Amino acid sequence: MQYVERILDAVDIETFILAREEGEAKGLMEGYMADLGFTDYDIVFLEQVGPGVRARARAYLHRPGSPYGWLAEDDKGGD
Amino acid sequence: MATRKKKILLVPLDPVHDMGLKLIRKALADNGHATTLLPPGLKVHEVVEWIIKEAGIEFVLVSRTLGYRVGELLARFVDLVEACGLREQVTLLVGGMAVRPELAAEMGFDAGFGPGTSPEEVVAFIEGRHFTPWGKGEESSRKKRDLTSGFSYIYKNKGIERSLALITGEIIDWVSNKTSPGVERARIRFRSLREGEGDKGGGWEKYQDYCAGPIAQYYKEGRLPRETRTLSEDELRSLRQYKNWEGQSKIIRPGVVGPDIFIQYGTGCPLMDILHIKTGEAWGAAGVVHFDPSEGARSEGLLGGYLSHAQDGTLLTWENLRLIKCFLNPLTLWQVRAHRGLNTPETVVLAGEAGADLTKINMAYASLGAGMDPARITVDGVEALRWAAHYDLALDVVTNEELSGVPAHKAFAGMLIVAHLALQLGARPILQPLFCYSPEVMLQGQMRDNYIDFNAAKILALRQIIAAPLWPGAPIGFLTHTEDRVQSSVTTALHACLARSLGVQAISIASSDEAYAGGPIAAASRVDTLRAVQEGFRFFGSANIQPTPRAREWAGELIDGIARVLTDVANSGSFVQSLYRGLLGGPEDGAYPGRIGRGTLRRKEVEKDV
Repeated sequence: MQYVERILDAVDIETFILAREEGEAKGLMEGYMADLGFTDYDIVFLEQVGPGVRARARAYLHRPGSPYGWLAEDDKGGD
Repeated sequence: MATRKKKILLVPLDPVHDMGLKLIRKALADNGHATTLLPPGLKVHEVVEWIIKEAGIEFVLVSRTLGYRVGELLARFVDLVEACGLREQVTLLVGGMAVRPELAAEMGFDAGFGPGTSPEEVVAFIEGRHFTPWGKGEESSRKKRDLTSGFSYIYKNKGIERSLALITGEIIDWVSNKTSPGVERARIRFRSLREGEGDKGGGWEKYQDYCAGPIAQYYKEGRLPRETRTLSEDELRSLRQYKNWEGQSKIIRPGVVGPDIFIQYGTGCPLMDILHIKTGEAWGAAGVVHFDPSEGARSEGLLGGYLSHAQDGTLLTWENLRLIKCFLNPLTLWQVRAHRGLNTPETVVLAGEAGADLTKINMAYASLGAGMDPARITVDGVEALRWAAHYDLALDVVTNEELSGVPAHKAFAGMLIVAHLALQLGARPILQPLFCYSPEVMLQGQMRDNYIDFNAAKILALRQIIAAPLWPGAPIGFLTHTEDRVQSSVTTALHACLARSLGVQAISIASSDEAYAGGPIAAASRVDTLRAVQEGFRFFGSANIQPTPRAREWAGELIDGIARVLTDVANSGSFVQSLYRGLLGGPEDGAYPGRIGRGTLRRKEVEKDV
């Protein structure tokens, strides 16, 4: 089983990103998520205070109703 | 069967700290086990000498905070035990702040106990039994909590009681010769489930005559609405075989004193819901609420089958409810909401037949905050209350019209009317004031200084009116959450602690995704707030939050306002007309009576009792 199949629904990535304003941080975070190979992602939270932006991005690996990796894997090895 | 007493060596392999081991030693001694606690700071070879000297030791529990080269030290200890030929004789355990089970295994230990481990867990391991946080043998004897137990529903405010008696008498009389498609569907559904074969007997063929729009189309043509699909046999089979989440749970609920915590599920997919429910149960939720799609409340009739759809809220079908019920912990309270739409009575029938514990009904909110026609929802609401009484389902009477701008005293007047009606019809209501940063307080400033006083005033006011259970919601802290998960979790926890301090029976809490509208709620976000609330309860213990004197002043003002509104409604002679005319919240408050279901009432042909 690939590790991503064991993730129930989503992966959140939180960080503090050095940026002058939230728009810049948003672009950087989106670029980072794309570089990580995520395709279904969103920026959940941005707050610019001080030298940068507190940021949280989310990638959905299993949206409700989609085929669930964790369900299929258990079926294969289920008891 | 009595557990054989064990001999255990407790080893603080640490220069100074042995407090954790002292607590564990007490728990082991309380259970009759023989323990020896070594002094801190011994070298590993000295510990091994103790094992040899103290004949018959079966367990060695080492305590050490992991840090620089500590892993090496612990591994050396295990090696030395092996080298001395003792490994078969003793079970080696390790505990400490940074210990994880997999790390303990890597170092050669038989088990590892990390932060948050209770002494009772260690005792359970040593005694070779599965750990249940509420103690040996107690799980099977625990009963599901009845939130209404012990409440007399006696009115302390007799003037309000008199107004309510007049209003509810008028409502019962007004609905007595009326019916609706919703009322008829509920009766067909009941007969179908009770008398028919499966869910399609008992006159089921008439059901579609009372449906409309996409639901009618589904029954005529078999076509599901957009973005809706039937779960496959493979998916359902896989789900039933999936057992990985059972037996692994460290349920943290029972150790904490406070109101029962409810979470809402409704991801759109019952399979995902089940995983979220199991997560919530494990992290302390005592109850779960079925959150259905708002669109479903605007359609006449309910779909059938195991259905998933790509929208907020999980479709209310008999099959979906039955599936979810199969996976609920027997102690988990289950609420199926029926409060705001065209399928209110039928939803209560489904909830009752599926084994729910609670439902949710409020005609005033449905009219003023959810778009329902006051006349239609009054007829359907009374029928739903009768069904709730029939199934002995307790129900909360929610006051979410506050979020539309209706002042609390008007929302509470509506809530008390529905609660009194429920009592008249033999049902058990639970009052659900909002703990929220409502438009009313934004405009008038009751929360300019703190979030405590006005929320506390609501509880104090209701308690001065009637002895009824209270369940703030839904969720607590409404409109105080942001997309920052730390802020969101903290505000939920603080509102929960206020609720605990006020001694209410239950609370509904949000996930830390409450303010995030870009996608489905993630399971980790549910854990965030459950964890935060438990931490808050642990922090306050039996200590209380002290509101300022303003809380009592505002409670008095609320009671006066409620009494005034109820007098006006009683004098008007018509609950339904009061809703149309805005006595319980009107355009000046930002509330407008809805139009969904207008013109669908019919005169009852034959009087049928539920």
